[in-house]
Order: sequence, then C-alpha cells, then structure tokens
Amino acid sequence: MILSVGAFVRVGALVLLAVILQVSGFSQLTVFEGHADLVVLTVAAVAYYAGSVTGCATGFAAGLLLDLLTGATMGASSLVLTAVGYGVGRFREVRDPSHGLMPLVVGTVATAGWVVAFAAVSLMLDIGARVSPLVIRDMVLTVLLNALLALPIFTGCRKLLRPSLAVDPLELRRRRRPPRETGPIGLRGLEI
Amino acid sequence: MYDRKVVRRRRAVLAVCVVLSIAILTAYFGESGGGFFHSFQRGAQAAFAPVETGASRALKPPRDFFGWAGDTVDAKKDNKQLKQEVQRLRTQLAEAETGLRDSRELSALTALRRENYFPQSTAPVTARVIARSSTVWYSSLKIDKGSSDGIRLDQPVIAAGGLVGKTTNVTSGTAEVRLITDGQSGVSAQVFPAGVTGVVRPEVGNPDDLLLEHVPSGKRVTENTLVITSGFVSSRTESLFPRGIPIGRVSKVDLDELETYQRVHVKPFADLHSIDVVQVLTRRGVAQEAASIGGSGG
Repeated sequence: MILSVGAFVRVGALVLLAVILQVSGFSQLTVFEGHADLVVLTVAAVAYYAGSVTGCATGFAAGLLLDLLTGATMGASSLVLTAVGYGVGRFREVRDPSHGLMPLVVGTVATAGWVVAFAAVSLMLDIGARVSPLVIRDMVLTVLLNALLALPIFTGCRKLLRPSLAVDPLELRRRRRPPRETGPIGLRGLEI
Repeated sequence: MYDRKVVRRRRAVLAVCVVLSIAILTAYFGESGGGFFHSFQRGAQAAFAPVETGASRALKPPRDFFGWAGDTVDAKKDNKQLKQEVQRLRTQLAEAETGLRDSRELSALTALRRENYFPQSTAPVTARVIARSSTVWYSSLKIDKGSSDGIRLDQPVIAAGGLVGKTTNVTSGTAEVRLITDGQSGVSAQVFPAGVTGVVRPEVGNPDDLLLEHVPSGKRVTENTLVITSGFVSSRTESLFPRGIPIGRVSKVDLDELETYQRVHVKPFADLHSIDVVQVLTRRGVAQEAASIGGSGG
C-alpha cells in the first residue's frame, strides 16, 4: 500500500463506516437469530488488498473503536483483530492467491478465527457465568452470514482502496497472459 | 530474497499493536470505573452518540425489512405447528365424541333390553355400522359382523331406542341391514298395551314417520302410545321379529269414517339418521309376560 494521507483517510473512513454500521445496524439485524459482523470482514479485506502491516494497524484501530463504542473491555477486540489483520495480510503476501472466489474463503476463515479467538479472550478475561451452547450456534451463524457478505464487502473495499494500492490484485490477474501454446516446444506452457 | 527492512517494519508494527492492545487491556482491568480508559470510553461514546443515532435511524427501514422477513418465517413455522396441533386435537376430539356417542348408544341398547316387554334370551351381537346407503329409496346399512359372528339372514336388528330393521345379504365378516324405512320393509306390529295390530310400513323419503297400516277403523288408537313388534305366529307363517321389540310411538291418527282401515302415524324410537352401533338379535327369544299380557287384547 502506498502510504499517503489519502490512504489513511480511505482506510480510516472505511473502518469508521464499518464500525458505525456494525454498531447501529448489523448488530440489530438478526437473520435466523444470528447477525453478520462487518468489522472483521472490513479488516480482512483491507489486509487482503493492502498487506499485513496495514491489516495489522487497521485491525488494531477497528478493534479499539469497536470497544470504545460498544463499551466492551478495551483492548480485547483490538488484540484479536490485529491478529486477524496480520494473518490475512501475511497469507496474501506469502501465497499471493489469484482465484476470484478467494475473498469468500478469506472472509469466512477470518470470521471463524475472529469469533473463536474473541470468545477465548472473553472467556479468559471476565466471563464468570455459565456459557450457553447457543453461543456456538451464534458463532456458526455469524461465520455463514459473513461468508455470504464476503464477496460484496471485499469488492467494495477493493474499489475504495484501489487508488492507494501499490498492486491491484484484480489488475494483476487481468494482466497475466495466457500460457503459450505455439512456438518452440520448450517455451510452451510458460507465461512468456 | 527478503527485504529485511520490510520484515523488521512488519514485525515492529505487529509487536506495537499487540503490546498496545495488551497494555490497554491490562490498564482497563486494573483501573477503577473513573480511570482514564473508562472515562475515555465514555467520552467516545458520548461523542459518537449523535452519529450512532443518525445511523440507527437511517438503517431502520432495512432493519425493519429484515425483521419483518424473520417474523414472517417465524410466523410460518408457528402456523405450521399450530395447524398440526389443531389437527391432532381435532382427531382427539373426534375420538372422544365418537366414544361418548358409542357409550350413549350402548347404554340405550342395554336399557332397551331391560324393558319389561323386550323379549329375553335373544343373544344379541353388537356391531358397528361401516356403511350406509346414500339414497332415500333404499334404506340400508352395512355392519362389521357377519355369519362368522353368528349372524344369519332375516334376523332383527335393534339400535338405541328400538327396532332398526333386519339383516339381508350376510357374508362371513359383514351383513347388510334393511331399515324399517326401506320401501320394501313391513313389520307386523301392535299398539301396546291395547293390543291393536297392524303392519308398520315406511313413508319413503321421510324416515321420521312410519305408518301402521291395516288397523281397523273401529279399534281405538290414541296418540303417544307405544308400538312394538307383534311377533305373530300362525300355522302357515311366522313373523321374523319376536314379540316385544319397541318400534316407536303413535304420533298421529287419521280417522276417516269412509275408510275401512285407519292410518296410524308412528314416530320411530331409533334415530335412523345417525346409527353407529346396532345389535343383531341372533335368537328369536322369548316374549316376556308383560308383552304377552298386552298382546292378549288383540
């Protein structure tokens, strides 16, 4: 990601929008008694397109803002979302996946990691009461709903961040030339 | 191959974020409710409250829409469950009502057989009605007992109240009962205790009215008197019905001085519209003394 004022503004606006939408809308919007989590998808999208450093910082900021606005234990969400952002960013940097449906997989796995890790942190920190098994159902529903939302959220984030991205993964994929099928036998099948 | 500077920066950012998170977490836990982080949190919430309120209002329509969709799904599920419950309760109610009705009919049958004019030793076989004719021209029933239960042709059939008809077409497991309202039916009867005799014939299409025919004009028949089977026996023929089975009550008497016979209208005791349980008298039985005394008059 190209570090610029515009990039900060874009990522900041994205995080703010995601947190506000999550707190004011998505958290009250129940589908089959579960709800989607926009914040983790946004963090994962930013990390996926901008890399691990940006993802890490975005996760921290989003988590802090989320804790501030929801009145939850400060630092818990930011800790987990930092890890999520870093993990997704590193996956992108190391693997460089190019499949069109990869955001769906990334969004689903990131959400699963987020709900499990956040539950673990919450249980370790300040949950003294008995935990209902319905928590697991809620977690599964969140993962499934986020899987449905992953593609549009990732697409929206990519469009918003595109001016600040050092490498647009979609453009990169488009520029890839088809393997040679003619010419010297030794060069066939190579992308040259 | 790897840019060490980039790696170091990446690790530094991660470490800073994690350390900051843990520090905030620790400080938040360690401080009291009036501490810096708690106050900061409250301040942030107050600052963002208008934004949250606006966003909440703006997002109300989609929230309501999804809520409506969820409620509709729930309502459909509830509707399905309630329909199943209604069906189950209806079945239970029908079973209970059927049981109650059967119980009433059986009680009435038992009471009928205890009457002092009813013939004794008739060996009744209780049967359930499984089918009935759908036209007014042929009044018949089908019952679930047949020859294997001891039922034979032309045996009298009674229901709650009195005589219903006689058996026809007996198979091993079922039997057909021709009702006394069938156009081909005719039962020798007498007015009890006066002893005036005649033949009870139906008025086709009106199962609530039977006619006691061949009653001489000179014989006095009063309304509300009992009509029972006469069970006549002569040297040449014998009635199919034993003496003493109640048929009905005289409802009206048509007196015409020019006619040789008077027309006596009889309202049958048995509710021929809705019979569920009947008894087939498999033995002719013995008329009781009361019925015999009654019969001595005519």
